[in-house]
This record gives sequence, structure tokens and C-alpha cells, in this order.
Amino acid sequence: MDERDPSVVAKARSGDRDAFRALVEMHSRYIYSLAHRMTGNAQDAEDVVQEAWLKAHKQLSRFEARADFRTWMHRITVNCSIDMIRARRHREDAHDPSDLEQGPLSERGAEAQPTPERVAASVQISDRVNDALGLLTALERAAFTLRHVEGMSIEEVGAKLGMKTSATKHSIFRAVKKMRAALEPFAQS
Amino acid sequence: MNQHLTEDELILHYYGETDADTARVESHLESCAECQSAKEKLHNVMALVDSAAPVEAPIGFERIAWARLEPALDRNARSGWRTFFWFPQWALAGGVAALVLAAFVAGRFTGGDGSAPASPGTVVAHVDPANVLQAAVGDHLDRTQMMLVELANADVDGADVLAGEQGRAEDLVAINRVIRQSALQSGDAQVVDILDDLERVLMEIANAPANATSNDLTDLQSRITREDLLFRLRVIASEMRQRNQNDREAGDRLPQRKMPTS
Repeated sequence: MDERDPSVVAKARSGDRDAFRALVEMHSRYIYSLAHRMTGNAQDAEDVVQEAWLKAHKQLSRFEARADFRTWMHRITVNCSIDMIRARRHREDAHDPSDLEQGPLSERGAEAQPTPERVAASVQISDRVNDALGLLTALERAAFTLRHVEGMSIEEVGAKLGMKTSATKHSIFRAVKKMRAALEPFAQS
Repeated sequence: MNQHLTEDELILHYYGETDADTARVESHLESCAECQSAKEKLHNVMALVDSAAPVEAPIGFERIAWARLEPALDRNARSGWRTFFWFPQWALAGGVAALVLAAFVAGRFTGGDGSAPASPGTVVAHVDPANVLQAAVGDHLDRTQMMLVELANADVDGADVLAGEQGRAEDLVAINRVIRQSALQSGDAQVVDILDDLERVLMEIANAPANATSNDLTDLQSRITREDLLFRLRVIASEMRQRNQNDREAGDRLPQRKMPTS
């Protein structure tokens, strides 16, 4: 079954289990990455993926056929991630990655071609950014991700997370300051 | 030279949220090399963040996801109950039920004569059922407000936002009814009034047609605006928080009652 075929969604809506499986296999990697960015750890991301699919399955009959399925799943996944973060707000456990103390990246030139060195550097950048994100508390990470990645306004982020705008601002300020402290040595000047 | 911009101001400026301060911030940036440099450093860090690849799922994750999901779908189909209970709508539903039960128990056992049946020597804090209800209402109003803000600000071209919120709306309707019943019994007409209005809107969201269009979303947004729902929600939620705060402060000043030993 070709998962890119729009009729797959239609079949899944009518209860076709194979079609729903095709959708799960098509989109799960994407929503895992999204959930991981929101929650910051693999176990929570897996749980969010599971919950997002259960919700999608339950609500599939209401999915607007003309809408983009991935966009719909994106929204469900963000909501599931927020629900998890809100439910676990008390577990504010930032961890302390050790490799942020390493020296600056050696290869960050302007080469257009993805040389092996450049690919390696890009992996290192991603690792460093993900390590820096790991320094944030769950709430700071969620607020930062919703503002920086999802593009919500601070007021909208506050509404999503059930926080006052001033508290949301401070969460985002703290998040950006931590990211800046961790990443500034590696940022291009 | 004007005072330098703070890091917070630079962050707000980066996100385009300096609002009324925009002209002042930009004017300062034009004339201050130090703040301009700080701004560039911040932008470089953000560019680095943007350049990072997202964390990839483990190899074969899509198949693992299905293997894990399929039994849960079957369980759902059989029982109609959801598998996971860590989500707030359930935690809240459970919490509300517990709070309403606590209100009932408190109402039954903390009467004015202080003759509550407790173990001899037990120290009990006085629990006012009205406070318990207030806490539940405040939480419920906050969650409902979050959803309505999201819908009110949703892009009208994305009518699927309605479908994405229907499950949540159903949960909120159930909670709304439990709280409304308690509020009715406790004679809180103001709360009953807003809960009635909320139920109508929540039902509209929960029962939106499968083929809801952008017109449906626009109608809903108009209704939210026309009935001043968000404003009324904010006012009453704020009042609830204030009442809770006052009650907590009053409670802190009251000595705990020691049950008589007999």
C-alpha cells in the first residue's frame, strides 16, 4: 500500500486496519522527532507517539479529508506532548551533559559541498544543540520549543501551558540564556 | 547614550515581541555598537539551534510503534477505555471526582458542632467544601480557556483544528457537567451561568461534523467573541484564584482542630 496515496487516509477513516498501519509506519518517525523535541527524552517521546496515534484513531472519522494528515498529526502530537509535560510538571529534572565542555568545532567552514568533515561537524552541532536543550527544565524546554520552533506567540505559549504570560516570558528567557551560555562558544561570530 | 538593552529585551526583540517598545529598542540598536553586537551573538546562537537536525527515531521505530500500538487499539475497541491515564484530562476528571467527593465528605463530616467522627487524638484540618469546589472550578476554567484561546486564534483555513480538539472538548464537557451540578447544589449562580455557556460551546466543538469547514470554525470563533467567553472566563478564573488565595490565607490563620479524646 502506498502511504502517500490520499485514499489511504480515506480507507483508514472507514476502518481499514492495514491503511491505518500504513499511516502509522509513514508518519511515526516524524512525530517521534517532534515529540522528542518537545519532551526531551526517548521514553516520553515513545509514549507521546503512542498516545497521539490512539487519539488519531479515535478521532479519525472527524478528520477533514482535504486537510493535510501530517499537519493534523503534528497538532495532535504537540497537544499530547503538552499534556504530558503539564502532567509531569513536578518532574523538573534538568540534566548535565558533559561534552559541552569540549572545544569548539574544528570544521565549520563555508564549503557548499557536504564533505565528510562537514557532515561530521553538522552531527556535532546537532549533538551540542540537543545537549544544550537537555539543560532546560521540562517547562523551559516546552515553552522554548513552542515559541522558537512552533512559532507561537508568548501569550499563546502561556495559554497552551496553563501559565501566566509573565511566567511564560521568564521560562523562555531562562531557556534562551541557558542555550546561549552553552552554545555561544560554537556559534559563528 | 541611552541605557543598554537588557538580555530579556534582546530576546523579546528577536521574537518580535517588544510590542510598544519596538521603536525604542530598534533606535537604540542603531546607535549602540555594544547592543548590536549582543544582538548578533544572540542571532548566531539561534541560527545554530535552527541548523540542528532533530533527534531521529531509532532504526525500525515505525514497525516498533505499530507493534506497540496495535494491541492498544484492540483493547480500546473492546473496552472503549483508553490505555493511558497520565493525561491531564483523566487526571483532572479523577481529580474533580475526588474533589467533589472530598467536598461531599467534608460537608458531611465537618459540621458546625465539631463532632466529626475521627479517631481519638487525630488532628484534622478543617476542609470547606466550597473551597474544594473553587479549586476544581478554577482548574477546569483554566483548561477550557486554553482550548478556546487556541481555537479563537486558529487559522480559519485550518478547519482540522476542530477535529484535533474534539476529544479534549468531550472530556471537558464531562467535567463541566460534574462541576456544574456541584455548583448548582452549592448555590453559586455565577459559576453555574458560565458553565452553562461553556457547555454549549464545548458541545458544539465536540459534535462538530466530520466535514467541518473553515466556515464552521469562523462561526465558532465569532461565537467565542460575541459572547465574550474568553473575557468572562478570565474574570471568573481570576476571581476563583483570588477566593482560593483568600481562603488559604484565612485557613493558615486558623488553628488546626484537635479532635477530642473520649
